[in-house]
Amino acid sequence: MIKIKNLEASIDDKTILKGIDMEIPAGEVHVIMGRNGSGKSTLANVIAGNEAYEVDGGSISMNDTDITEMSIENRALEGIFLCFQYPVAIPGVGMAYFLRSALNAHRKHQGKDEMDALEFLNNAKAILSELGLDDSFLKRSINDGFSGGEKKKSEILQLLTINPKLAVLDETDSGLDVDALRTVAKGVNKFKNDNNSVLIITHYQRLLNYIKPDVVHLMIDGKIVESGDMSLVEKVEKDGYSWLEK
Amino acid sequence: MINLIKKNSLEFFNANGLPSKKLENWKFTSSKNFKSFNKSSSSIKNQKIESDELSIVFVNGVLDKNSLKNFKFSDLLEVKNLDELNDKELLRCSENFLKESMFNLGISEFEHGSYLSFKRNSVIEEVINIKNYFFENGNNERVSSFNIFHINEGSEISIIEEDIKENHSIFNLKLNKFICENSTIFKYGKSFNDHSQTYSLSYNYYQIKKDVVLSVDSIITSSFFNKEFIEVDLNNSGSDAKINILNLGKDEQHIDNNILINHNAEHCTSFQHVRNVLDNKSTAVFNGKVIVAEGAQQTDSNQSNKNLLLSLESNAFSNPQLEIYADDVSCGHGSTTGALDENSIFYLRARGIDYSSAQKILIKAFAKEVIDDFSLSSLQDISEIALDSWING
Repeated sequence: MIKIKNLEASIDDKTILKGIDMEIPAGEVHVIMGRNGSGKSTLANVIAGNEAYEVDGGSISMNDTDITEMSIENRALEGIFLCFQYPVAIPGVGMAYFLRSALNAHRKHQGKDEMDALEFLNNAKAILSELGLDDSFLKRSINDGFSGGEKKKSEILQLLTINPKLAVLDETDSGLDVDALRTVAKGVNKFKNDNNSVLIITHYQRLLNYIKPDVVHLMIDGKIVESGDMSLVEKVEKDGYSWLEK
Repeated sequence: MINLIKKNSLEFFNANGLPSKKLENWKFTSSKNFKSFNKSSSSIKNQKIESDELSIVFVNGVLDKNSLKNFKFSDLLEVKNLDELNDKELLRCSENFLKESMFNLGISEFEHGSYLSFKRNSVIEEVINIKNYFFENGNNERVSSFNIFHINEGSEISIIEEDIKENHSIFNLKLNKFICENSTIFKYGKSFNDHSQTYSLSYNYYQIKKDVVLSVDSIITSSFFNKEFIEVDLNNSGSDAKINILNLGKDEQHIDNNILINHNAEHCTSFQHVRNVLDNKSTAVFNGKVIVAEGAQQTDSNQSNKNLLLSLESNAFSNPQLEIYADDVSCGHGSTTGALDENSIFYLRARGIDYSSAQKILIKAFAKEVIDDFSLSSLQDISEIALDSWING
């Protein structure tokens, strides 16, 4: 699925990623944990192609296609989906119009016909129902006036509508109460299957009580310093990160 | 009476000449090209004019009385020539406009102005179309017009005005006065999308009585030069004035809105919302002022100007002002100017929407917030089509 080789990246001439190596095969859920400022969100943004960041070295490939220089939208069409840590509010652009535009851009890229409005609405309503959201959600502007929980649910609605190959969840669990966390986890579990992958960036174990990861990576100062199973999460919860620096 | 007013105005213009940039309202707008226009001759013959039962037609600013023969509501309308009016109050102009040299030029030059009065309790559900045809007699003509619209007590009138120009060198100097009597609802919309090289300078004065609901909606695209003065006098209690303006500028177009709302009575509300989308080397100016007079308690007023710059060479000048002399009021104002938000573009692109489409979606969203506030739904439809065409053009 996704292969990251010796990835180095910077923003405003400050190097953040200092050689990331990672591979997430199809069907697996990986987790990255690390302190604030360790480079987790930078990695998520660089995978999504955020042009505010400069790739200084290394490569990213999806299913053997090098996407390191690819535009943001083409990466998305190749199957990368970033669940934003801070989803942007865009007043005046309706959720339904936005979702259908995004979905049809993907369908066009896949050589499929555009989905008509009725079919789209039926699909969207089914997903909304599973997320415990009212149909009126589609009439609202993108994330405009949404609560923190609604914004994260909106990201999951988009994830399930677009159905990408790789979902990168950038601290999607932050600021969520238990009910919203369960809803988000339910959405992610519904999404994952043997043909796609999930990368979860988080500080805490609580989301991982609902989504079981296959591999856990620990990141310090722009590098992955340890990879292992769920026991790493428990060790971080208990001992923090200082033991990794010794 | 009108001849005396015209004489005084001519003297004023001759004494003051064209407005200079030293004047606050003209600081960012040059009048130097006005010199290249000459007063038009009024005779227009054998031109093709289309009117229907909901249209009132003006040709070069002069009412085409033939169009009233087809007008469905002519029995609710009383029409007079302005020179037949002897009522000082009906003819009274804004004191501020009378200090404007171009307003005085317009007054001195207009010919065959009309007074259109909708009778008491005229409730017209359909939207009346005012069609302004402009025909050229020669090159670089200045067409001056002055008309008064009187909405009498208990009436409900909706008007959409459009300019139809078949040439590229007219200076349209348009003066209008609107009188809204007690308990009237007046919805006035304007859609100018002519793609011509027209200069348009208009002075619109709204005299508002008691318990009036006034809405002024406007969309302007593609006018080469468009400067508009709007003055609203809220002289009696319980009235509400809403002004929503969307301007879309390209190339070297210049758009200038000067809005003054005088809250002279208590329990009135006003709302100004002006948005400019500016591409290429286009320029927009917003001078908005709300004056709340002493004793105009419980005034609720809001003024907003937002400018979206699509090019590094586009410019917006914004000057929102409040003058408050009452102590129990709620007044707010704000102004923003900026480019498209890069984070929003990234968000849309991260969902597979290409850069150009993402830009168009955001421009449309910015502009549509004004259109959604228009009181006239038919103007909303017209504006959405004009907006799409402007964005994709």
